[in-house]
Amino acid sequence: MTQTQVLTPASLEELVAALAQATPQTRLLAGGTDLVRELRRPVREPDLLVDLTGLAALSEVRLEEGMLHIGALATFTELQWHPLVREHALCLSLAAAQVGSTQIRNAGTIGGNAANASACADGVTALTALGAVVITVDGAGERRTQSLDDVVLGPGRTSLRYDEAILEFAFPPLDAGHRSAFAKIGSRTAVSVARLSVALVVRFDADAGVLSEARVALGAVGERAFRASELEAKLVGRAADDETARLFADGCVAAVEASIPGRYSLPYKRHAAVGLAYDAWNMLALSAPSEPAWT
Amino acid sequence: MQLVLTVNGTTYEVEARPTARLLDVLRDQLGLTGTKEGCAEGECGACTVIVDGRAVDSCMMLAVQARGKEILTVEGLAQDGELDVLQQKFVEYGAVQCGYCTPGMLMSAKALLMGNPVPSEQDIRVALAGNLCRCTGYTAIVAAVKAASGQDTRPLMEMPVEPGELAAEAVTDPDTLAAACGIVEAETGQPPGGPCSSGGSSEMLGFHSAPEGGE
Ligand SMILES: Cc1cc2nc3c(=O)[nH]c(=O)nc-3n(C[C@H](O)[C@H](O)[C@H](O)COP(=O)(O)OP(=O)(O)OC[C@H]3O[C@@H](n4cnc5c(N)ncnc54)[C@H](O)[C@@H]3O)c2cc1C
Ligand code: FES
Ligand code: FES
Repeated sequence: MTQTQVLTPASLEELVAALAQATPQTRLLAGGTDLVRELRRPVREPDLLVDLTGLAALSEVRLEEGMLHIGALATFTELQWHPLVREHALCLSLAAAQVGSTQIRNAGTIGGNAANASACADGVTALTALGAVVITVDGAGERRTQSLDDVVLGPGRTSLRYDEAILEFAFPPLDAGHRSAFAKIGSRTAVSVARLSVALVVRFDADAGVLSEARVALGAVGERAFRASELEAKLVGRAADDETARLFADGCVAAVEASIPGRYSLPYKRHAAVGLAYDAWNMLALSAPSEPAWT
Repeated sequence: MQLVLTVNGTTYEVEARPTARLLDVLRDQLGLTGTKEGCAEGECGACTVIVDGRAVDSCMMLAVQARGKEILTVEGLAQDGELDVLQQKFVEYGAVQCGYCTPGMLMSAKALLMGNPVPSEQDIRVALAGNLCRCTGYTAIVAAVKAASGQDTRPLMEMPVEPGELAAEAVTDPDTLAAACGIVEAETGQPPGGPCSSGGSSEMLGFHSAPEGGE
C-alpha cells in the first residue's frame, strides 16, 4: 500500500497546484473535527491529504464591496469573537459560540462545517439565514460562486468536486437596523449536536413600528438547513409585539412539522420547539440594545 | 514521513504515519503519556493539549498539522521540579480522584488562564465544558482553577481547614489514606469486616470471587 501524501499549501497558487493533483481518493483537511475520526477507519486510505490549515489568508473576515466575506478556515472561536461578525452577522457569532466545546471551537472551521454537510451543522443554519454564497476554487484555478443551497445538498452530500475547495462565504452584512439571533436545542448544553436550531434575522422599521424584513432558517430537522419562507412572509409588516412572538413560535413548529411529518407531533417536542422559538425571539430584543422601540 | 515537532520547548524529529494523530505521536513516539486517550471522538477532553496558545483535542488533529507550532502538554507544566500553580491547587482542593481527566483539565484550564488570568466561574465552566470527569463532580476542579487565579473560592467551596492542609495530611498519613480508600478500617487498621466484605482488600477493589455454588 502506498502511503498517503500530505500537501500543506501556504498560498492560493500552492492550493490550486495541490488540487490539480487530487483524485477521488483525495481528502481536504481543515480543523479535523469531523475528518480525523473518519480517517481512523477509512473505507480507503486517501492517496493525498491537502491540509488547508497553512492557508492563513483563508481564515480572514473582511468587508469588501458591500459584502462580508468569511474565510473558510475561520474557526468557530474566531467567528464567535470577531468584531465584524458580531456587528454584521450576530447570528453566526452566536451559532459559533454554541458549537461543541472550547476545544472543538478552537479547531473546527466554518468551511469544514459546510463541506461536511451534516443536517445539524450550526454554522450552515446561520449562513442560510444570512443568505450566503459559497466561493470555491478548483484544480484548474477556476473560481465559482454558488448559493449555499446549491452546495450543501443533504446529509453528507455536497456538490463539491474532489478537486474543489471552499475559499470563503459572502453575504450582505447586517446593519444597525437589523437584529439577529441563534438558538438550538441539544441533549445537553455542552458538546452536543443540535436536535433543532433556528437562526433569525429581522429588520425593524422604527418609524412605521413594524418588521420590514424577516429571515428564518431552521436546522437539524430536515435533510439540511432551510428557510421557512411562509413564516417569513407572515412576519413582515407586523409589530414586534407578543402576538408576533406567538405567531413566530407557532410558525416555527408548523415549519418543523412540515419538514418531518409526524416526528414533531409529540407534545414534548412541540413544547421544546416553542421554547426554542421564544428563546431566539427574546434574543432579538437584546441583540441591538442601542436601538429603542422593541417591545 | 519525517516530522519536526516542538513540544514543551523541545524540538523532536520523529518518523510517523502521515495520518497519525497528534495524540498518537505524543504518546507512542515521544513517550509523553501524560496526555490521555478517552473517547477518541472529541467528546471527553482527556487528550487536550495546547497548540499555539489554544486548547485542542489531540485526538482530532493530525500530527502533520502541528508542525511549526508550539505544543504544550501536561509534562510541560511543572518547571524546575516545581508544580505549576494549577497543579498545586488541584492537589490542595482535592480536584483529582482517579486522575484520568486531570491532564486534560489542567491543559484546558491553563489555556484559559493564559488568555484570561482572572476568569469568572462561568468562564471556567465554559472553558472546561469539553472535559468530562466521572469522579469529582467538577466543583473542586472549578474551585482549584479559581484559586490558581488568585481568587476567593467561596462560596463554591467552604474549606474546613486551610486548603493544602487536607492534602498534606492525606499524603503524609498512610493510615488515613488507606482508610479513605476503604482498604483498612481507620480504628483497627484491619481490612473492614461486615457481611459484604469478608474477603479483604482485593474484594474492596472490585475483584470478586466466584459466587458460592459456582463451578
Ligand atoms: C465533540 C464534537 C462536537 C461537535 N459539535 C458540533 C456542534 O455543536 N455544531 C456543529 O455544527 N458541529 C459540531 N461538530 C462537528 C464539527 O466540529 C464541525 O462540523 C466543524 O465545522 C468541522 O470543521 P473542520 O474544520 O473540523 O472540518 P474537517 O474535519 O477538517 O473536514 C470536514 C469535511 O469537510 C471537508 N472540508 C474541510 N474544509 C474544506 C474546504 N475549505 N473546502 C472543501 N472541503 C472542506 C473535509 O474534506 C471533510 O470532508 C462537533 C464535532 C465534535 C467532534
Ligand atoms: S480522547 Fe480526545 S476528546 Fe476524548
Ligand atoms: S478524577 Fe476521575 S475522571 Fe476526573
